[in-house]
Amino acid sequence: MPLSGCTGVQSALDPAGEEAAAIYRLLLVMVVGGTLIWCAVVGLLLHASQRRNAPWSERTAGRLIVWGGVAFPLVVLLALLAYAVWLMPSIRPWLARHAPAPETIEVTGEQFWWRIRYPARDGLPAFETANELRLLVGERVAFSLKAADVIHSFWIPVLGGKMDMIPGRTNTLSLSPTKTGIFRAPCTEFCGTSHTLMAFSVIVMEPADYIAWRRAQAAGDVPGGGEGEQLFARHGCAGCHGVRGVTGPATLGPDLTFFGQRQTVGAGTLANTKENVARFIRDPAAWKPGAKMPAFDMLPSKDIAAISDYLVGLK
Amino acid sequence: MVIRWRHVVGVLVACILGAFLVTWSGLISIKASTGHWRITDIVLHWVMRSSVRSAAIGTKVPAFTKGMLPMAAGHFEAGCAVCHGSPAMPRPDSVAKMLPPPPDLKDKIVTWSDAELFLIVQHGVRYTGMPAWPVADREDEAWAMVAFLRRYPELDGDQYRALTGFTAIASQGMDRLIATCNGCHAPDRLRPESLIPRLAGQSSTYLEQALIAYANETRRSGVMAVAIEKLTEAELKDLAHHFAGEGADPMPLLAGDLFERGQTLALKGDPSRGVPACLSCHDKAEANPSYPRLSGQPAAYLANQLRLFVEKKRGGGPFKEVMTRAAAKLEANDISALAAYFSARDIADQNAPN
Repeated sequence: MPLSGCTGVQSALDPAGEEAAAIYRLLLVMVVGGTLIWCAVVGLLLHASQRRNAPWSERTAGRLIVWGGVAFPLVVLLALLAYAVWLMPSIRPWLARHAPAPETIEVTGEQFWWRIRYPARDGLPAFETANELRLLVGERVAFSLKAADVIHSFWIPVLGGKMDMIPGRTNTLSLSPTKTGIFRAPCTEFCGTSHTLMAFSVIVMEPADYIAWRRAQAAGDVPGGGEGEQLFARHGCAGCHGVRGVTGPATLGPDLTFFGQRQTVGAGTLANTKENVARFIRDPAAWKPGAKMPAFDMLPSKDIAAISDYLVGLK
Repeated sequence: MVIRWRHVVGVLVACILGAFLVTWSGLISIKASTGHWRITDIVLHWVMRSSVRSAAIGTKVPAFTKGMLPMAAGHFEAGCAVCHGSPAMPRPDSVAKMLPPPPDLKDKIVTWSDAELFLIVQHGVRYTGMPAWPVADREDEAWAMVAFLRRYPELDGDQYRALTGFTAIASQGMDRLIATCNGCHAPDRLRPESLIPRLAGQSSTYLEQALIAYANETRRSGVMAVAIEKLTEAELKDLAHHFAGEGADPMPLLAGDLFERGQTLALKGDPSRGVPACLSCHDKAEANPSYPRLSGQPAAYLANQLRLFVEKKRGGGPFKEVMTRAAAKLEANDISALAAYFSARDIADQNAPN
């Protein structure tokens, strides 16, 4: 029970990637080793505090100090340092020992959401999405990390990281997911009023699912001409949000292609239900202070409901 | 005898009591009929001139354009002529006995600088009956009035009528109201440099929301506040219905390169600067009727409204915040390009971003 906080979608103690696993091993070694040493030191302390009839000879005491106080810490600390130095290349991209990743995904932090651009690959075209990252299990992936406005930080606790996203710079990071699943990645550098409400979902998929998903994403939606779709255009939503295949290429706000597949509304702010989508449209800043989207509470409720139905139905 | 502190205090108290008694007795006359003493008149004017002169120091005078004149003339006819008279109408007798009497402006305007006139128009003059501009934050309207006042001394009755386009002799019949609106808004009176919008081509929803926003001051304009001050909500709706739906032709093109720049911005926006495409909301076949038609509006009107949006002073109907956000990142050259583009754009243009 006390350990239930250590597992889950956003725990570095429950790794699902090589980098996070390496750091987790380091942590285990440190904790176990540290505990053993602490027990030994406390044991010695208790032993030394007992009354004894004759003091140790100077020679015995000297030997204890040399072995216990110099040789032992030297060996242990050197070993730990060697381990950590050996570990570093596998979690830092500029010393990468592994083969280059076949795919570099561009992720840009913006107040307060994530713009995600997939490159063209194996005959599949490039496309843009937002707030949800899908990765292939067992394949190394590289990220090119940018920021549009202020410093954000990219960290997927179960996979590894973190790496700052700095305006005007491109940082790179490479990760290798080893388990499928749905995970959560929060912004880890304070970036403004809604910093705590800025997160993205990470979905690690089997190859067949991943390829199918990429194909569908690149192709986009098919216009159905429904009421929600018409209202989405009529009220100007499409001026900031693109739905590939249906609207023009608007890139001001998060792309909404296949929005219904996403886990959350507002980059990790609310669960993706149509009630929550309607709440968000009505007054984004009420859920996400400082959000750039204006409140649309002047729209008739039935229009908001139709648009929410439409968005949640984009699957 | 030695003057001691208590003597001084006693005299002071006696003075205050005396002044109190004189005031209470009603001996001070407030009759306007007898006018001021000459000396009072001289001192009061001296105070006013000095105050206006000092307050005007450092005021930056904008460039005056021809487009400012009809809007200011219309407001002058609706709001000012009733006291000051106009080149087409002598000062009414009913105000001649105000104290001070509202001056005939023909001779007075030349004695003030532009900045001083602006201060008087914007802030009014205390104790004289000269009111401040109806809303506090529309300096652009007060400057248009100054531009008009500069021309005022040389206007004869016909030239003045040609600028105002209507006569404010009040009669509330709908025909009369429409004629009054058309004095400023008639399409054939508008040019690209006009600060007055064209009503033709707008939806009745937009016009109604705009008029109601003027009436409850969520869209602030001294000119429009005075123009619609006596109208009921029903009359505003009737006017909105009357003016909606008429077609609107494009305005003559001002500058080709500006048009191209404006077209790009209107169609694509500038995502890198956070500017959305205008045409994703405006001037679409299936647009929300609360989003105004921009094509064929006078360029100067469009530019002025965009500036007000950028300065967060525009206000408007229920969707005002949406446009305030959309316009927030526009810069001066974006505004002139967009104004040039939409002014000359044909509403039938099917070139849309979606």
